[in-house]
Amino acid sequence: MNVMITGAAGGLGRAFANECGSRGYNLFLTDINEDGLLRIKRGLERQFDITVATKACDLTNAESVDEMLDIIDKHGIRFDMLLNVAGLDFEGGFTERERENLVKIVMLNNAATLRITHAILERRRPGKPFTIVFVSSLASMFPMPLKATYAASKRFLLEFATSLRQELKDEDVKVLTLCPGGMVTTKETMNSIKAQGFWGDATTNPLEAVARNTIDRALAGYSIYVPGVLNRVLSVFGKIVPRSWIAAVIYWRWKEARNRALHLDEQRT
Amino acid sequence: MKTIVITGASSGIGQETALVLTKQGFNVLGVARSEANFNRAKERILSENPNAKITFFVADLMQQREVVRVAGEINQYLNEKCNGELCALINNAGCVRSWYMTTEEGYEQQFALNHLAGFLLTYKLLPALVKANGRVIMTGSQSHKGIKVRWDDVMLSRGYNPLTAYKQSKLCNMLFAKGLNDRYANKGIRAYVVDPGLVKTDIGNKDTGSLVSFIWSLRKKHGVSPAVPAKTYAYLCGQEVAPEGLYYYLCKEKKYSKQVTKENADRLFELSERLCDIRYGEVK
Repeated sequence: MNVMITGAAGGLGRAFANECGSRGYNLFLTDINEDGLLRIKRGLERQFDITVATKACDLTNAESVDEMLDIIDKHGIRFDMLLNVAGLDFEGGFTERERENLVKIVMLNNAATLRITHAILERRRPGKPFTIVFVSSLASMFPMPLKATYAASKRFLLEFATSLRQELKDEDVKVLTLCPGGMVTTKETMNSIKAQGFWGDATTNPLEAVARNTIDRALAGYSIYVPGVLNRVLSVFGKIVPRSWIAAVIYWRWKEARNRALHLDEQRT
Repeated sequence: MKTIVITGASSGIGQETALVLTKQGFNVLGVARSEANFNRAKERILSENPNAKITFFVADLMQQREVVRVAGEINQYLNEKCNGELCALINNAGCVRSWYMTTEEGYEQQFALNHLAGFLLTYKLLPALVKANGRVIMTGSQSHKGIKVRWDDVMLSRGYNPLTAYKQSKLCNMLFAKGLNDRYANKGIRAYVVDPGLVKTDIGNKDTGSLVSFIWSLRKKHGVSPAVPAKTYAYLCGQEVAPEGLYYYLCKEKKYSKQVTKENADRLFELSERLCDIRYGEVK
């Protein structure tokens, strides 16, 4: 089994890589952070008897992706699974953010994900089943004031994946969208979850379990995975409550969390 | 000049131990995660002991590249100023985590810092330790009892429990000390684990979630001052003839888990060598 993971040097990417490693899958890892890639490769090879290839790549740059594809083609690598993990967010209200950063969210979360998905689908192992995971978010279920661009970019993935799944059904391609709540991957995510208080803790998903269950479910042919019972309940609310109401509630919640986070930052400095 | 390296020296048990050791006349090299932290610690140590010989090195020991880098700096210092001799290494730095989080290598963080960092640092400083018939001391815990190493999932990615991860990392400290003694006692090195008891430090409040932090805040109220365990470290460093025991509490030997066997120690050595990409046998 050959698996491509994007964003592999980050917290969720590393958890996926470890999970795949423990299953004996061979890995092709990419990330914009070259140093991080080499370190996770080292860790994986020391733990598991698998082959790990890496190539640092800026997925938002077509030339950079072509370079990586050249390497893949030169070695004749063919894939059985693609885990689209690479993604980003910048906190803050729409008008408060840097214009280019806002554009970057969509460029990476959406445009780059389409680019790599298209490229790797062309390089799937012929005549074999193929599995794709899109890492969306619980945020894709709701309009999210103060995280508007991010949530919409994740919604895009959810919608796109649902349609793609239908298109490729006859070609034995399984498509799963992962919609997790918060996950503690770094000190920063930990603090942002703390700042949300009860709801932060309650919607947080354990990284290692999400990684394991996602791959289990993707292979079993599920279309969507919302980890955590509370998150599943919330996602149902997202479908039945009028969206303008949800927007109002979420706006209020994030504003509070943001104030608390600022307060925490001030305390720290 | 008798020199001692102590990690996690800017707060808690490490800081107090560093202070006590400077008072006994040792040249202390502390490792701390940030310059701000060590400046604070240094100021306090010098205020209580103006003659203290204390030098700090900055490293985030969770990351292996940082361990290797700081070990290089320490070795250079030892070669220039201490005739290449290190009379004790105290692997004290440790952490608690509420969630499964990984290092750059993808290793679980409590296992990486509480065990692997000390394993790798000791390896890097072993020649200097051998030269001085040195001692290696780990900060352990009573909580190493009542648990086995999960050999099939040592990073606990199949079901993470913060306390299990902590306990296992402390059992690893015991096994590491045992393994070191099995291998190097004949070369003059002795390894120990100190049980500090319940101590009033911030270990459970640093980078942990609300629940773990809250529980620890309640628990630490019953803890003793870090000055209490510091005496045990000072005792183990200060004895002319190396004490024979493995596990110490309040300067006395204490019983430890039946899991601390040669077989388990060897197994941990083999695993840790693989995870750090080193071979202890290769050290001269």
